[in-house]
Amino acid sequence: MTSTATAPGPTAPAPGPAPPSPPDGRDRAGGRSGLLGLLDLPGQGIRAIVRSAATTPGRLTVIAVGLVLLALVAGLVATLSVQNRDNTITGVIEHREPLAAASQQVYRSLSDADATAASAFLSIGTEPPELRQRYERDIAEAGAALAKAASDSGDVADAAGPVDVLNQSLPVYTGLVETARSNNRLGYPVGASYLREASELMRAKILPAAQDLYRVDTEKLIEEQDSATGFPWLATILVLALLAALVVAQVYLTRRTNRLLNVGLVVATAAVVVSLLWGAVALVVQGSLVGSGQDDGSHRVDVLVRARIAALQARADETLTLVARGDGATYEKDFGTNAVQLAGTDGQGGLLGEARGLIPDGEGAAKVADATKAVNDWFKAHKEVRSRDDSGQYQEAVDLAVLEDKTDGSAPAFRRLDDSLQDAIDVGRQEFLDSTHNGDRALTLLAPGLAVLAIVAAAGVTMGIRERLREYR
Amino acid sequence: MSRRGNTVRASVLVVVAMLAAACGSPGKPVDPAPVSNAAWPQPAHVGGPDSTAGGGTDTSCNPLASLAPSGTSIADGSTMAKIKERGKLIAGVDQTTYLFGFRNPTSGNLEGFDIDMVNQIAKAIWGSADGHVQFRAIPSSQRENVLKDHQVDIVVRTYSITCDRRKDVQFSSVYYKAGQRILVTKESPVRKLTDLSGKRVCAAKKSTSLAKIATDPAKPVPVSVDNWSDCLVMLQQGQVEAVSTDDTILAGMAAQDPTLQVVGDQFTEENYGIGVPKDNEDMVKYVNAVLDNVRGNGAWQDSYHRWVESSLGPASPPSPQYQ
Repeated sequence: MTSTATAPGPTAPAPGPAPPSPPDGRDRAGGRSGLLGLLDLPGQGIRAIVRSAATTPGRLTVIAVGLVLLALVAGLVATLSVQNRDNTITGVIEHREPLAAASQQVYRSLSDADATAASAFLSIGTEPPELRQRYERDIAEAGAALAKAASDSGDVADAAGPVDVLNQSLPVYTGLVETARSNNRLGYPVGASYLREASELMRAKILPAAQDLYRVDTEKLIEEQDSATGFPWLATILVLALLAALVVAQVYLTRRTNRLLNVGLVVATAAVVVSLLWGAVALVVQGSLVGSGQDDGSHRVDVLVRARIAALQARADETLTLVARGDGATYEKDFGTNAVQLAGTDGQGGLLGEARGLIPDGEGAAKVADATKAVNDWFKAHKEVRSRDDSGQYQEAVDLAVLEDKTDGSAPAFRRLDDSLQDAIDVGRQEFLDSTHNGDRALTLLAPGLAVLAIVAAAGVTMGIRERLREYR
Repeated sequence: MSRRGNTVRASVLVVVAMLAAACGSPGKPVDPAPVSNAAWPQPAHVGGPDSTAGGGTDTSCNPLASLAPSGTSIADGSTMAKIKERGKLIAGVDQTTYLFGFRNPTSGNLEGFDIDMVNQIAKAIWGSADGHVQFRAIPSSQRENVLKDHQVDIVVRTYSITCDRRKDVQFSSVYYKAGQRILVTKESPVRKLTDLSGKRVCAAKKSTSLAKIATDPAKPVPVSVDNWSDCLVMLQQGQVEAVSTDDTILAGMAAQDPTLQVVGDQFTEENYGIGVPKDNEDMVKYVNAVLDNVRGNGAWQDSYHRWVESSLGPASPPSPQYQ
């Protein structure tokens, strides 16, 4: 008898996303219309609910609506949070990591171009075609990688500055290198001055910008990896609250109706428990895989990349000391700094030592071991180059420094170092991709699954309470 | 009635608010790619005047008076005997000054007027210069230091003899007389230093030319660089108005760029000598004896003809002065 009066009242605002819809409003406001009528609606709704909650069926209805709402909201939040996490991982794989790799590529190519231009310049007569090709390839790669990095600078504000500097300076750099080449071909010593100017531009402006870009992109990558492994607090709290509310509702119903079980509510509880377990397992697995993608993949890659950059800088220093033709003391000092950064004071520490500590086994470890061996060969050859140059045997020093076919020279040892580091970086990137991708797979169907379970829970609540309400008719 | 009035008033308010928002000035179109600075880069380590510039105003000595030659025989235990035993003469030279000391990129060899002088000394010691010279390329700012530290036996590097420098090193007799002039583009109206008042003029660090520019009453703005070639780079890039230094160096620059010319008269006198460590007096005497021969036997003329004559016209070797 009371049910007819109360039932439509409180349930009316519940379904539908926008409770105060105009047709409803006109109905219930009874003649009121327009803005003021609309504004008055929530107040009326609350008054109606409070009124109806005084009776048992009313209270049951309020409980039902509350539970359904909670189930839907918790389901929605959990689904969105999982979906968001899924998207973040996809973004990390398809976007962030390639971008960090692209900015790494910009840095590497430009450093290599700097070193290669100097090597080619030192050659007597016509520059060796393989060095020229290497330089051209470096510049082309830097341009392509820069375009890739620039395409994204929009959503990372910090990247815009370095990208701007790089885009403006790169054509100037190549112009200076070509001026140096043509003067050198004519036999004019001013070519060396142009090359040093180009190198100064590269070192004072371009490479620092490339380094900034790499740092920004790497930080962004780490940030997104962390956000893909973070704990979903809101969703967890909501689901736990839903579970607690379901339990409380059942206890209340049992007391009120003396019936032990309400099938609908039991089904709803089961659905919530399943969501919790599934979500927990999937997120733990995913978190640990993405985490290992970070530790075994991108973190290792970062150390290796920094090692490689130090190596490239040192190589450029080595050749520029010779290009400077007597005025290269600052370059040689720079070489020392980069060498220590790369391999420590004893050839076993530095970034390479750090990489060895990080990569205990597997293909990557073998590559890092190769790199360590190559770096020691290189430093030995470098000492020889310096002692030749310092004792006035300039041409011998140049040959030892730049000729690729001189087996005990700097060039082949450096090439082995660079190749080993590149291979080790590739291994690291593959590990990152595999782990992160598997982490992503752990989330398969979790988002739609949670949505379905939330609907099941909501349906269970509705059925369960309706069954009880019917007894009041 | 009143309710309808409220509604109408509210709607009018809303419409007015929207119109007001739409009528504001849209501002200027956004510049899609602002560029703050498009300046061309400069060579490394460009500076201004340099307090330690060579030359100076010290006239307390006769800088040109060297030690009298003592013949080209080598006494036991002398500096020359040690060098001869070592088998190599270590010479500090320039690799970047076209015509005087530069590395020929196509052959890889060092060439130029100063290099010829080094080879003459080696030839006097061993009979042939082949394989007996170790050239060490040094920047001009390091000329005194490498001699003081005995890293080289001699410095032959467009090295002007001054009283200030004589305090640190010994000089041979004068082997070349140069003078400071001005290098500008062919369109430039500049003919003398006073035309360069307030303009940027380039010279190498620690050179006498830099000191001259910095102290000139016409007040040109001195710009200093590591190597003379860097001055040519800055002139070609339009970052300086002129380069001013010894005509020998300027001739080398003009030879690398047909749009440039050396203008004006010599307004300083630069006497090139061969630098020798302060305590090696026996070596100075030996080198002077070699230079006497070079002046007399036509070797000087040959070198001058090969490197300099086409740019600066005919000349004869300067006569030596001794204490």
